[in-house]
Amino acid sequence: MSINPIPIIILAPLIGGFLAWLINIKGIREIIGVISAAIPLGYLAYLYQQLSKETINFTLSLSGFEFNFLLYKLGWFFATIAALVGFAAILGMTSTSKDGYEWLFALMSLTGVLGVFLAFDMVSFFIFWEIMTFGSFMMVLKYNKKASLKYFLLSLFGAYSMLIAIGILYASVGDLSFAGMSVASMMLTKWKLALIYLLFLIAFGVKAGAFPLHVWAPDAYSETNQSYTAMFSGALSKAGVYGFILIYILIGSKLAYDFGAFRSTTKFGYIIAFIGGLTIVVGGLLAALQEDIRKLFAYSSISQLGYVLIGIGVGTALSIQAALFHTLSHALFKGLFFLIVATIVYRTGKTEFKDMGGLAEKMPITFAMAFVAILSLAGIPPLVGFASKWLLFEAVISQNLPILGGFIFFGSAIGFVYLIRFTYAVWFGQRPTDLDDTKDAPLPLAIAMGILALLNVVFGIAPGLVAKELNSILGKEVIKGDLFILDLGFGKYNALLLTIWLVIGIVIAGIVYFMGAKVRRVPVTDTYQSGNPVTMEYNLTIRRNFFLPLKETLAFWLRMSFDRLYQDVGKSVEDLAETLRYYVYNGNVQSYAWYLAIVLVVLALWGW
Amino acid sequence: MLEIALRAFLILIYATFVGFMFMGIIRIVTARIHRRVGPPIYQPILDTIKLLSKKSNITHGLIYDFGIIYALGATILALMFIPLGNISILRAYGDLILITFLLEIPMLGIMFAAMSSGNPWAGLGAQRALLTLLAIQVPLGFAIIALAQFYGTFSTYEIVMAQQAGGWSIFHLPLFLAAIAYDIVLQAMFGKEPFDIMIAPGEISLGPMVEFGGKHMGMLQIQHAIALFAETLFFANIFLGGGSILVLLIKQVAVLMIAIFIGAIFPRFTIDQAAKFYWKWPTIIAALGAILASL
Repeated sequence: MSINPIPIIILAPLIGGFLAWLINIKGIREIIGVISAAIPLGYLAYLYQQLSKETINFTLSLSGFEFNFLLYKLGWFFATIAALVGFAAILGMTSTSKDGYEWLFALMSLTGVLGVFLAFDMVSFFIFWEIMTFGSFMMVLKYNKKASLKYFLLSLFGAYSMLIAIGILYASVGDLSFAGMSVASMMLTKWKLALIYLLFLIAFGVKAGAFPLHVWAPDAYSETNQSYTAMFSGALSKAGVYGFILIYILIGSKLAYDFGAFRSTTKFGYIIAFIGGLTIVVGGLLAALQEDIRKLFAYSSISQLGYVLIGIGVGTALSIQAALFHTLSHALFKGLFFLIVATIVYRTGKTEFKDMGGLAEKMPITFAMAFVAILSLAGIPPLVGFASKWLLFEAVISQNLPILGGFIFFGSAIGFVYLIRFTYAVWFGQRPTDLDDTKDAPLPLAIAMGILALLNVVFGIAPGLVAKELNSILGKEVIKGDLFILDLGFGKYNALLLTIWLVIGIVIAGIVYFMGAKVRRVPVTDTYQSGNPVTMEYNLTIRRNFFLPLKETLAFWLRMSFDRLYQDVGKSVEDLAETLRYYVYNGNVQSYAWYLAIVLVVLALWGW
Repeated sequence: MLEIALRAFLILIYATFVGFMFMGIIRIVTARIHRRVGPPIYQPILDTIKLLSKKSNITHGLIYDFGIIYALGATILALMFIPLGNISILRAYGDLILITFLLEIPMLGIMFAAMSSGNPWAGLGAQRALLTLLAIQVPLGFAIIALAQFYGTFSTYEIVMAQQAGGWSIFHLPLFLAAIAYDIVLQAMFGKEPFDIMIAPGEISLGPMVEFGGKHMGMLQIQHAIALFAETLFFANIFLGGGSILVLLIKQVAVLMIAIFIGAIFPRFTIDQAAKFYWKWPTIIAALGAILASL
């Protein structure tokens, strides 16, 4: 009998994190951490063959409770994404982390997220969900208390919602395993079902950063170790996505049956998709207006997850596949982006655009990685971002859902907008003199970035690799074609052919270029300035308020802010408490005696 | 293999030549509207030859060169996917979404090159170009959605075939609305007034183009010519029924003429006016078309 792989996969990071924290010697803790993050990835890759034939389950009985875990195709897909991005992030952390504390909680949240993807009953799911939240909360707490509290409050809100939903489900079904629930959910009444749906929507929406519950993400993503954010955004947010898919698995058919259809999709699905659409627009527009590099990518992460929600919401086999594909792409390019941000912050110590500029010359490797990431996120063929976006476009539009289609078109343009802002402010233009001796990425970060960048290209040119996997998850051949071709019947995309012709086009252009006379290199100060001499004393690069016209155009909408709304609500609750404390709980024994007397009188009048 | 290479070469030569003729036509027609004589129609070709044969060229680094090469390469790529009568090469993969993306990519290359020069005018131009892109994307998206929904396919070639059987797209109401919106979008894609905000001659010194000279500018001229050809070709294919090369050429010139007439008489919008404009009327028209097509 062999050892069951599931506990090893789930617990290895946690144990490694614990050891790293205990030993806490620089050098050793890094090695332990990286190894413990590599174990789940290696093991999951090793199990791939076996999973095509069978699923692996694991049951733990503890004081009368049964904890079920199941490694099956869908869970494997998510867990591998998480393990991959987690590994890259941990690799990056060997450069950026400061002490054992970070190793412990970063690895703890990795354990949490892996457990979420492999759990097969609601209790284990919830426990690991909380481990994940706790680990990430502690990571934020160390850097910024306010941001961490905001994250904590919203997570708590989500957790309570989930707990209530689980409670209702259990009360009416009497079973907590996923398998039992999906069958028994048919017995739920309509209103209970609607309530559970709403509560799940809140619980998973918080984690996925769906509008209007996204407000924690910009602060939490930016106020922590940036290498860790690669995992935070790349892996942890996927737990929310997985949750939305769970809604389908657990109560989807009943929801569709009870609430009916909206055009070619279900009503409940359309709500998810519409939230996704709003998330794209709001996240994207706010990303374009940020002045802090970390915040820009935090909002961009939110925006990109909106695509996934649209795909899940539309709910056809094709659109779910597209959503899963985009989940992978999101993890790959967002993980890469946050590692790039980590490198920049690590090497320059600056986080705001106004302090940066002209770094492309100083950090060529990081810039090359950024180039790949930009092309991938913006959806430029032949990178992975395009393949998944293309699938989403086709999946949504072919279902005759024009409004959702409009959202994704807008999303692809807003992606260009904020990425160019990042490119211009960080890499190009005049370099502030204090950045003159900036070094390129340290080796571990460079390797981590290299892994993710390579996968961005590989899955981009051979999207069939992913499509095959997605087909086997859904158990039917939705996306036809081969390694390089995605064929949907009504649309076809050939990534290899496109790559070849792009190379041919570039070669032709290169020939024209090299036929011309030689070029002479001039410095950045040698530009046309209407006759004014340009010196390094004045930095002319536009780095602050780059999209001012956009801000002016949107002035009316920007006045509304859910973040501010929540803060105002919080503040008024605080005020109310203050008033109560002043007038009611005033610490005066006499008044408490009066309250008691009044209560007694009321009770007496009531007839007790 | 050889045949494909030959056809690709012919398409490229033809597209470049016609594109330059279009640029000449733009200048002549605009001149006549302004009651000037205007340059000869081949003037843009002469200009480009002059630029390419400059003896002294400057560069601001690798990205400055590569951005331009990439822009031209990507434009050639886009061209190959659009159906051109019966000689096009990759039309089997000429997906609507793909071509829409491909037509936007060259701009990214130009932006990268322009921004790497560090010139603030180029930065301003990039900002305006991106906001224009953001503004046009919504009506453009709805127009594409209307097309895909109406024909039930994303293949440009199949859409052309369907039109040859069932009449041009613009003779169907939903697609007529989409075509109007797309044509307004085309005005900005050509960079013609009132949406020439990104280059804005006399205001921000040609924006992204300010630093380019010599062979870089010459390559951008070629890129512009091919892009002009590709964009009009795409419109003629998806809305005006396609056809043989000659028929397509007539349709392309017609599309171009509308753009020139509008461009010659309107002054320039500011960027926020343009965004508000695009997000209002063209979006409403195109969305109406998309909704009608989805029914």
